[in-house]
Amino acid sequence: MAALATLAFSAALAAALADLARIELRLTSQRRQATRLLAALDGCLADAVADLPAGWEFTPLLHGPDAIPGTADDGALPAPAGCAARARAAPGATVPARAVVRVDARIGAGRRTLDAVVRRTAEAGAGALLWLSEAPEGGAITGAAMLDGGDAAAPAASLAAPADPEALDAWVVGEGPALAIAPSTAPPLSAPVPPLAELGIRVLAAPHAGPAALMPGGATLIHVAGDLSVDDARRGAGLLFVDGALEVRGLLEFAGVIVATGGVRVPAGGSLAVDGALWLGAASPALRIEGGLAVRRAADAVAAADALLPLPRRATVASARDVG
Amino acid sequence: MTGRRGLALAELLVGMALGLAVLAGLTAAVGVAGRMLVAASVRAESEDTAQLAMEALLLDVRRAGYDPTAGGVAALVEAHDDGLALAADLDGNGSVAVDSDESIAWRCALASRRLSRLVGRQSLPLAEGVVGCAFRYLDGDALPLAAPVAPLDLPRVRALELTLRLLPSGLSHPSSRTLRAALRAAP
Repeated sequence: MAALATLAFSAALAAALADLARIELRLTSQRRQATRLLAALDGCLADAVADLPAGWEFTPLLHGPDAIPGTADDGALPAPAGCAARARAAPGATVPARAVVRVDARIGAGRRTLDAVVRRTAEAGAGALLWLSEAPEGGAITGAAMLDGGDAAAPAASLAAPADPEALDAWVVGEGPALAIAPSTAPPLSAPVPPLAELGIRVLAAPHAGPAALMPGGATLIHVAGDLSVDDARRGAGLLFVDGALEVRGLLEFAGVIVATGGVRVPAGGSLAVDGALWLGAASPALRIEGGLAVRRAADAVAAADALLPLPRRATVASARDVG
Repeated sequence: MTGRRGLALAELLVGMALGLAVLAGLTAAVGVAGRMLVAASVRAESEDTAQLAMEALLLDVRRAGYDPTAGGVAALVEAHDDGLALAADLDGNGSVAVDSDESIAWRCALASRRLSRLVGRQSLPLAEGVVGCAFRYLDGDALPLAAPVAPLDLPRVRALELTLRLLPSGLSHPSSRTLRAALRAAP
């Protein structure tokens, strides 16, 4: 009788242990699912925000592809498989520019939602020395180019373009010794297309000078309609917007941002030195360096250009909250 | 012919002794199993408590600094080695209500062996049996900042770390967890 009671008690204990193990396994499974959902949510948000167009306000995003407010496509955002993203206006004042992006991620039966406040980056541009509208072609540099990301604490990337970072890395490697990159420079990064057309409109709407203003002095807003060829030695600062191709046969030293919608060509014997950033539109080729090109990070020079005319910026996540 | 039936006294005694020995062994085994079950339950609860505390902190940190109106909400309001305070404008009304879940504080009280999460003005004990509880604060280069972090240095904090050790009565080894979580709010 006692032995039977002992056996029964042992069975009950074994059942309790098994139950405990089952509960722990279920908890672990739920935690794994929650962790996977959080990771998916963060990944989805990062992808959605990385794909947001560079610019100034978020109005185009909030009005949707049809550019009409109050329609079904307002705030529609492309998102990776397994998640959805939609933007809406942020509460409060309209300045600084921002939007609230709601991201919804699903894995199996699990679902999580997050609201993120998206704003423009503090630094103008894409955080890169070269901001291109498309991945550069191989063999673009046969002369000597040097990219220097400068500040080791917050280095600029060598280049940014709407392409996979691996493809951009491969381009850098493929250019070989013709392209020298300083050690403190950050690696290439994927970025949206620079909004050069809208920037050109804004330049024209602001007080600006012509190419004759390319001379030593303070920061100036310069607009050139059509191609610009520099055959002598020129120096300037501020924002140089060339609505065409920029060709440097002589010497051009510039502090700030140079924009060339038709690309940059530096034939043999020419030299282009930029303390700041170089933004190029889609052209064939967008970049052809047979002479010399040097682009160095100069946050002050870019800030001076930004003070002349607000420059476009990438979108970034300012803060976020998990909704459920 | 004389036949023998039944058991001799000696045989009976030996049989009883063997039976008692087996029963004693079974009883001891059951006792050990019972103690193991209790210990496993306590261990499981302790591990769960530590894990839940980490998950709660992670979610608090993820939402700290939420500021849809750009009103200047600071994610980290206080940063001590035994506690911290976080803020968020969750309802988007432009301010942080100190008596709501927009103000979250964490407090380690080693004297009372308790870790508490304060939601607004309400204190919720998260873990008992706390024998180790320490917060660390890291800057953008993942270098530690001295705690308590001075108010002017709070914006430099980009990540925080909690190391928690629980030792409920009945356990010989503590349950330990360390969480490092980055503040999502951009400076």
